[in-house]
Amino acid sequence: MIDAVKLHLQGIKSALAVRMAYRADFFISILIMLVVEAFVPLVTYLVYKNGASLPGWNMYEALLVQGVFLLSKGISFPFFFGMVWNTIYRVQEGTFDLLLIKPRSVLQMIIVTGFDSEDLGKLLGGIVLFSVSLAHVPFPSLDLWLKFAVLFFVSLVVMFGFGLILSGLGIVWIGNYRVYEIFTSISNFGMYPANIFSKAVVTFITAVIPVAMLGYIPASQLLGRPAEGTLIAVISSIIFLIVSLLFWKAMFRRYNSAGG
Amino acid sequence: MIINVENLKKTYKSYERGNTLGEAVKSLFIRKTKLVEAVKGISFSIDKGELVGFLGPNGAGKSTTLKVLTGILFPTSGKVDILGYTPWKDRKKYVAHIGAVFGQKSQLLWDIPPLDAFNLNKAIYSIPDREFNKKLNLMVELLEVQNIVKKPTRLLSLGERMKCEFIMAMLHSPEIVFLDEPTIGLDVIAKEKIREFILEMNKQGVTFILTTHDLGDIEQLAKRVIVINHGEMIFDDTIEALKSHLGNKKLVSISTQDPLPVLEISGVSVKNKLSDYNAELELDANIMELNRFIDYINKNSTIKDMTLQELPIEEVIKKLYTI
Repeated sequence: MIDAVKLHLQGIKSALAVRMAYRADFFISILIMLVVEAFVPLVTYLVYKNGASLPGWNMYEALLVQGVFLLSKGISFPFFFGMVWNTIYRVQEGTFDLLLIKPRSVLQMIIVTGFDSEDLGKLLGGIVLFSVSLAHVPFPSLDLWLKFAVLFFVSLVVMFGFGLILSGLGIVWIGNYRVYEIFTSISNFGMYPANIFSKAVVTFITAVIPVAMLGYIPASQLLGRPAEGTLIAVISSIIFLIVSLLFWKAMFRRYNSAGG
Repeated sequence: MIINVENLKKTYKSYERGNTLGEAVKSLFIRKTKLVEAVKGISFSIDKGELVGFLGPNGAGKSTTLKVLTGILFPTSGKVDILGYTPWKDRKKYVAHIGAVFGQKSQLLWDIPPLDAFNLNKAIYSIPDREFNKKLNLMVELLEVQNIVKKPTRLLSLGERMKCEFIMAMLHSPEIVFLDEPTIGLDVIAKEKIREFILEMNKQGVTFILTTHDLGDIEQLAKRVIVINHGEMIFDDTIEALKSHLGNKKLVSISTQDPLPVLEISGVSVKNKLSDYNAELELDANIMELNRFIDYINKNSTIKDMTLQELPIEEVIKKLYTI
């Protein structure tokens, strides 16, 4: 375990060193990332400022959902979601093989060598949005914080599952960077309170592909009004992770037997 | 024996897309599959400390064989035992004992110095600090790259980069190292340095398997050569045996005082007729003995100058590939 942590830290150090080689580009990229991610919260702000609202949610509660979503992306994107681009790039370039001659799990190697420092902008944005929203809602009790922590961890599990599916697709769909759009279009459902969607959509985003776990469910918990179907969403998140892992392994086996 | 390969076969499924727009569009919906037998039952074994050259034209099955031996690919059938491991089954444990240098795929990180990439490998292989520093210093000195390892990789010449690739591949003290065209594109001096390094490491007991198209690498490094063509092993012996594989052939350069006699005779083929007095010939001494050839020329003309050379290995290989 310590060994794995050491390896991850070294991977982060190397990736940061690579990005720091072009300092201006590094800071500009982070800034751009921050601006891009601020778009949806900005729209939410404008909607509320113009008198409209999401039924049953005040502006800061709605922004809290988006803050949690951004925080979840802010942790997963730099630290493990880079496996998606890393896989697509390496398979296309033919350097995926180099990971297979290292005495580590291939998945670990893709994550270690795929640290994406630019996405630290998302983390920064997530922290700011989460903190600002939290300052305008009643401060949660310790009990709520603990429940939130568990659900937030599950949101990272869902993110990891998505990373596995997209990375697996990257192994077989050579050079197809469009896979990310699949993730964006589905995951964005997690940015809004679920009660604005139809019953069928709510069932889909909690019990089938649990994207509600990415923002709505943990934020609801923190606000002290747990979302309906939270337990189902937790179970389906774990199933989602297992299925994603099996999918990734199946795609990897295809690479092994075909040679890329 | 540390490498034992028995009846290794690998068949790929490949898709035919066609070359016209119509065929390309059609292939989006219906693809014709084709089975490609890349390796058709290769068997060989290699002892510890050997330096074996793997030769073959493009598409012969060398890289596929190498990918199976390094644990990257599953074979279709056959047995491979390397250091007691089956590469594709025990991949994680097995690859800790091997190293690889790919002339066309870099393990270094483009924007940062090789030293940073070495440190990443140190973490990947869990190499203790002392061992790492000792090995690094030794190799840096051997390859004379003291001033290079701290410069960003993108600023290094191809030769300098390749030297660092070797360090990268050998920091964890592998027992077997696979080299895939390690001298491709290098100048004579860099090639020489790398060859010296390989020989030095080989002297220290490291087993090398080298695939290359540079026959200079083979002549200077390999004691044994395996030739693969069309997925089959067509030769496995020493470099000397390879040279005499196609008969006892010599390259003869001859100048005479009087015009050369008719050279279209059994055992002689004219490679280049420079003038009526000068020619380059290929002589098969098994058909036309050397003294008989000299007598024949002297009887019809007078030899002014003559040089005799072994058939260059390029010629041998070229002929072997066309068999």
